[in-house]
Amino acid sequence: MHVGAILLLILSGLVLVMLLILLGQKGPRPTIRPLPAFQDLRDEVGRAAERGGTIHIALGGGRLNGEDAVSSLAGLQIVEALAGVAISYSVQPIITVGDSTLLPLVQDILRRAYERRDLTERYDPGRVRFVAPSPVAYAAGAANVVATENVTTNVMVGAFGAEVSLITDAGARRDLPQLAAAAAPRAIGTLYPTTDHLAVGEELYAAGAYTTGERRYLVSLVAQDVLRVILVLVILGMAVLAFVGS
Amino acid sequence: MSRLVKQWIPILIATITGLVVLAGYLIPTPPLTYYRDRLVEWAVIVAAFAFILGLFNILRVHGGRVARLRQGWLYSLVLLLAALVAWVPPLLYGPSGTATQQMFDYVIGPLGASLAALVAFTLALAAFRLLRARRSVGAVFFILVVAVVLLGSTPFMGLGRLADARDWIVNVPGMAGGRGLLLGVALGTVITALRIFIGSDRPHSEF
Repeated sequence: MHVGAILLLILSGLVLVMLLILLGQKGPRPTIRPLPAFQDLRDEVGRAAERGGTIHIALGGGRLNGEDAVSSLAGLQIVEALAGVAISYSVQPIITVGDSTLLPLVQDILRRAYERRDLTERYDPGRVRFVAPSPVAYAAGAANVVATENVTTNVMVGAFGAEVSLITDAGARRDLPQLAAAAAPRAIGTLYPTTDHLAVGEELYAAGAYTTGERRYLVSLVAQDVLRVILVLVILGMAVLAFVGS
Repeated sequence: MSRLVKQWIPILIATITGLVVLAGYLIPTPPLTYYRDRLVEWAVIVAAFAFILGLFNILRVHGGRVARLRQGWLYSLVLLLAALVAWVPPLLYGPSGTATQQMFDYVIGPLGASLAALVAFTLALAAFRLLRARRSVGAVFFILVVAVVLLGSTPFMGLGRLADARDWIVNVPGMAGGRGLLLGVALGTVITALRIFIGSDRPHSEF
C-alpha cells in the first residue's frame, strides 16, 4: 500500500475541497501570481485576427491513457479558452494532436465552443488534426502546419520532448509570436531559447486559471500554491530534524 | 433526460472509473486490482478505436488538400500513398512478417532517425537565435551552461575540467532544479486529477 501517496491525495483533496467551499461560489476573487505566458494569450488571438491569420495550438504527443494525460488535460483548458476567443474574432484555430485519443475530445471542445455562439455551421472538424503517433513525426507534421497554413501565432501546450524544437524552428523562421507551457525538463530547455513566453513545470497546470479566469480554476491554483508551501515546510522541517538528529 | 445523458452520466462514469483505477494502484489488493486491470484494458481498446478515427482524420485533412490542390498538396499525396502502401505488408504477411519488419527496419526507422537528427540542428539554430534576439545576461549564461555541458560530455582529450564542471552542473544545480520541477509537476497533477474526480473540471461532458 502506498501510504505516502494516499496521504498526499487526502491532504490535497481536503485543501482543494475546503477552498472550493470557502472561495468557490462567492466572495472576493482569489488573487493569483502573475504569469506572463498566459496573460498575453487572449490578446495574441486578437492580434492573429488583425493580421488576418490563424492561431495554431500544438498539444503534443500526450495520451489520455498515459502518464502525460494531465499535461494533455491542461492543454485542453487552453483549447477551451482560446477557441471561444478565436471564434469571437472570426479566427478558426488549427489544433494539432500527436495521439488519437485526444482527437475526439478536442473536436468536441471546439464544436461546443461554436455551438455556444450559435455558429455550429462554421465548425470544421478538420481544423483539429491528428498528425502522427510518434513524437518526432508529430513535431515535423506540426512544423509543416506552422510553415504553410497562414499561422500568425504559435502556441504549444502539453506533453513535449526535445523534438518540439522542430515546431519552434518553423515558428521562428516566420518570426511568429510563440508561447509555450511544458512540464518535461527536456522540452523546457528546448523551448526557452525560441519562445517569447514560457510556462514551466507546474505553471502548465495554471493554464485554465489564466485563460478562462473561471473561479474553479483560480481556486485550484490557490490550492496548488497552499500545498506547495506545506510541502516546502515539510521538506525544511525534515531537513532540520535530520540535521538535529545527526 | 438529455441533460442527464450529456452532462451528468459522463461525469459519473469518469469519476467512478478514475477512483477505481486510482484505488487499484494505491491499494493493490484483490478485487481492486482485478477491476483496475479490466478498466485499463477497456481504455486500451477505446484508444485503438480512437486510432481509427485518427486515420480517418488524416485521410480527410490531406485528401481535402490534394482535392483542392492547396499549398503542399504534393506532400499530402505522398503521405496518402505511403499510408495506403503501409497497409499492404501487414495485410499480406501479418504484423510480424518479414516484409512488415523490413518496412519498419529500412523505411520507417531510418526516416524517424533522420528526423530526430534534425533536432540537433534546430537546437543549435535556436541557441544562435537566442543570442541574436535576447542579448541578456540570462541568455548568455544559458548558452555558456549548454556549451560546458555539451563539451564536457564529449570524449575529447584535455577537457577534463569541463567534464568535472559538467558533472557538477548536472548533479548539483541541475538535479536540484529538476527535483523542484518534478515536485511542482506532481502537485499540479494531483490537483488537476482531483478536480476531475470531484467534477469541477469536465472536459468530457456537455457543460
